[in-house]
Amino acid sequence: MLLEISGLTKYFGGLAAVSQLDVYVNEGEIVGLIGPNGAGKTTVFNLITGVFPPTKGKVTFDGTDITGKKPHVIAELGIGRTFQLNPLFADFTVLENVSASFHLRPRSSWLGTYFNTATYRRNEAYILEQSLEILKLVGLDKFKDELAKNLPHGYQKMLGMARALATRPKLLLLDEPIAGMNPDEIDFTLTNIRKTQQQGVTFLIVEHNMRIMDLCDRVVVINFGKQVTEGLPKEVRKNKEVIQAYFGGEHAA
Amino acid sequence: MIEKRLSMRDGRRLVKPSAYGGLAIILFLLPLFLKSPYWFHILIITFVYIIATVSLRVITISGQFPLAHAAFMGIGAYASAVLSKELGWSPWLTIPLGAVVATGIGVLIGYPFARLRALYYAMVSLFFGVGIIQVLYVFQRWTGGYSGLMGIQPLLSATTYKLPYYYFFLGLTLVCLLALYRFEFCRIGISMKAIAQSHMVASSVGINEARYRVVALAVGCFFVGLAGAAYAHYNLTLSFTSFDMLATLWLFMYTLIGGIGSFAGPIVGTAVLFLIPEIFRELKEFLPYLSAAILFIVVFVMPQGLVGLPQLIRSWFAELRKRVAHAS
Amino acid sequence: MELTVTTLINMLVLSSMYILVALGFAFLFSIMGILNFAHGAIYMVGGYICYQFAVEYGLNQWLSLLLSVLIVASFGLFLERFCFRPLFGDLNRTIVVSIGIIVVLENTVNILVGTSTRSLPAFVPGILRAGALSLSAERLVTFLIGGALLAAIIWFIRRTKPGQQMQAISQNLEGAALQGISIHRISALACVMACGLAAVAGCLMGAFLNLTPFMGDYMLVKAIELVILGGIGSMGGIFFAGLIIGSLDATLPLFISGAASQAVALGIIVVILLFRPQGFFGRELII
Repeated sequence: MLLEISGLTKYFGGLAAVSQLDVYVNEGEIVGLIGPNGAGKTTVFNLITGVFPPTKGKVTFDGTDITGKKPHVIAELGIGRTFQLNPLFADFTVLENVSASFHLRPRSSWLGTYFNTATYRRNEAYILEQSLEILKLVGLDKFKDELAKNLPHGYQKMLGMARALATRPKLLLLDEPIAGMNPDEIDFTLTNIRKTQQQGVTFLIVEHNMRIMDLCDRVVVINFGKQVTEGLPKEVRKNKEVIQAYFGGEHAA
Repeated sequence: MIEKRLSMRDGRRLVKPSAYGGLAIILFLLPLFLKSPYWFHILIITFVYIIATVSLRVITISGQFPLAHAAFMGIGAYASAVLSKELGWSPWLTIPLGAVVATGIGVLIGYPFARLRALYYAMVSLFFGVGIIQVLYVFQRWTGGYSGLMGIQPLLSATTYKLPYYYFFLGLTLVCLLALYRFEFCRIGISMKAIAQSHMVASSVGINEARYRVVALAVGCFFVGLAGAAYAHYNLTLSFTSFDMLATLWLFMYTLIGGIGSFAGPIVGTAVLFLIPEIFRELKEFLPYLSAAILFIVVFVMPQGLVGLPQLIRSWFAELRKRVAHAS
Repeated sequence: MELTVTTLINMLVLSSMYILVALGFAFLFSIMGILNFAHGAIYMVGGYICYQFAVEYGLNQWLSLLLSVLIVASFGLFLERFCFRPLFGDLNRTIVVSIGIIVVLENTVNILVGTSTRSLPAFVPGILRAGALSLSAERLVTFLIGGALLAAIIWFIRRTKPGQQMQAISQNLEGAALQGISIHRISALACVMACGLAAVAGCLMGAFLNLTPFMGDYMLVKAIELVILGGIGSMGGIFFAGLIIGSLDATLPLFISGAASQAVALGIIVVILLFRPQGFFGRELII
């Protein structure tokens, strides 16, 4: 198992946003974490990446206990993420957004960076080359000198993913990657995710749009911070409780 | 509710490096044409404040608001002055020491708060800036209290002969600007700007927020302390009012007027707000109104600051041309 | 015993004056999104205008206070309309403007009056005696006026329609606008009130202490201390912080020098912020 979450619990004041959650992700899988709005999905991501510590429970990544570690440490260990509201480096260009995200690998020393040594210059050239590659992959290379804040919404989301890819993660957490996209953009994004999976990246995707299930190897459904069910997409789709969670008391076909 | 953020963090340089080089050459050759010691004095003070405002910028691009920046200038100044006065050390030694003291205190104050939101550091630095003046006053046996500290050792020869000091400060400023310029545009500066734009994204790509914030503080405090210390051994007297909260606000002002979007902004803003009032010196007690007028004009007419002036003029001309074409 | 009573009265006077100025500052911040650094200068000008009328022109001192409030309040109207409204919500530029205003105000006072320290004579001269106690009538009256004004403000905010509209705006600007609340009218009202309050404080403090062109800077720092210590967004916090800081400023100088007590008070505030950065009643910023 690449990522294991056991007994994860988070209380905000008296309210349990996440309660006794157990989720695991195997290497090479695409796992979907779905549930209606407010189910606690983003909170789970925030707990994994150390934005705030859990009240109880443990998170293990690649054999190491990462519970409560700071976000930049988590990033160093190989977990990348995107964000629901998709903040970006708004005043940077598209290209700068990606190249700034190459902070970890390759890493130049402080002195090397400041004094513009040969190693630093080599690293920066490599970073530039790789940034352009990633932009080409997500289809944003023609916008490379555009300011990130001027991009249309769907492209901004792709930039978010490009940025996350720059960290060369082993595990990529995507928070609502297709929210607000039109059908073409959705197809494009799903293809990109599949392509990246083939290059060896594991995915844990949070979504409330059920279309993401086409992509997933396995799906975990949560509501009110608790697990509702888990299994293969086609099983989950038919599950009565899931349907109830999404559509309320009445059934759907 | 407060929507506008400081947008000073794009990677582009508004002013080409060659422009800086040209300006440096002009300044080096200036003494051939200019003979007035008074003007040299004004230029020296301007240089000192340019170092102060650009070092302020280095901190603000990381998203922090050092509301005690002038106080650190004072710490550097008083530390160097007192060390050289009480222990008899040479100013060449005490000036860097003054900078180090300012850096040390800056990091000491900043470190606990660098981990938190930038707003909290802003508030604490505000209080610290006010408090340090009081502390300096308490130790007035060494710092001279409100009447000021006098009789500081000069750095070079007697300060009535301005030329050596002019070249010293010109050189110092160029070196400091070079150092700060490199900071802003190497990967360290880029990471700092990233933190300022979105600290969540920045930490998710592995940038250690706290460490970069402290580094920004340290660098900023070092250079402003250096500027203050050098100033002390030129001016030969120090007084608290140069380093109080209003002084910090003025530093922010020079930066905002010049334009927060670029490295040249603080330089332009400081130069304009120092030199233009000097040209109109005859206005005497009405001078502050001139400065205020410049402030109001820039704020209401030029949101980008003075650095944006060329672009503004260009767009006015374009607009004018359109209107003329329309009319005919 | 007499010392205690005097100190107590001083505490109350200082606290109420600090709160009056800090509230105005906080109104402007929470309603218009403006950090009006010129607020201290406005307070100072209020005191000087009263001095002009009362001492130079010989008018009745209470009348002078009233005139000062009227003049300063209309200046507030002017400020809101021409300086703050065009830059609504733009924090940077309003800071620049407010500093410009400070420069104009302080320099004007400088030119007209000079930097020598002036003092307003007591509004209510004389000493009150009650048994073994004697205390300055002036100070008591200052505190009573201050307290009355504060009570009036609380009533205004809670019970009147404009006051509630102010609360609405400070909590949710867009929501308030959608409800049909005239943001500009309420902002103007807030600015007028804030400036008026600052003027009253300036006059009263001018009699309690001295008038100097720099008293504004001092008061501005106090106002900011109150707002931050009390917690941004909390009026009750300002009251609470005002009491604490007023008490510190009234009692510490009895034991240590004036400057040292300022330093100590600030040190205490910094320490409190270390443990509770959001102030007493402020909302904790999570992300």
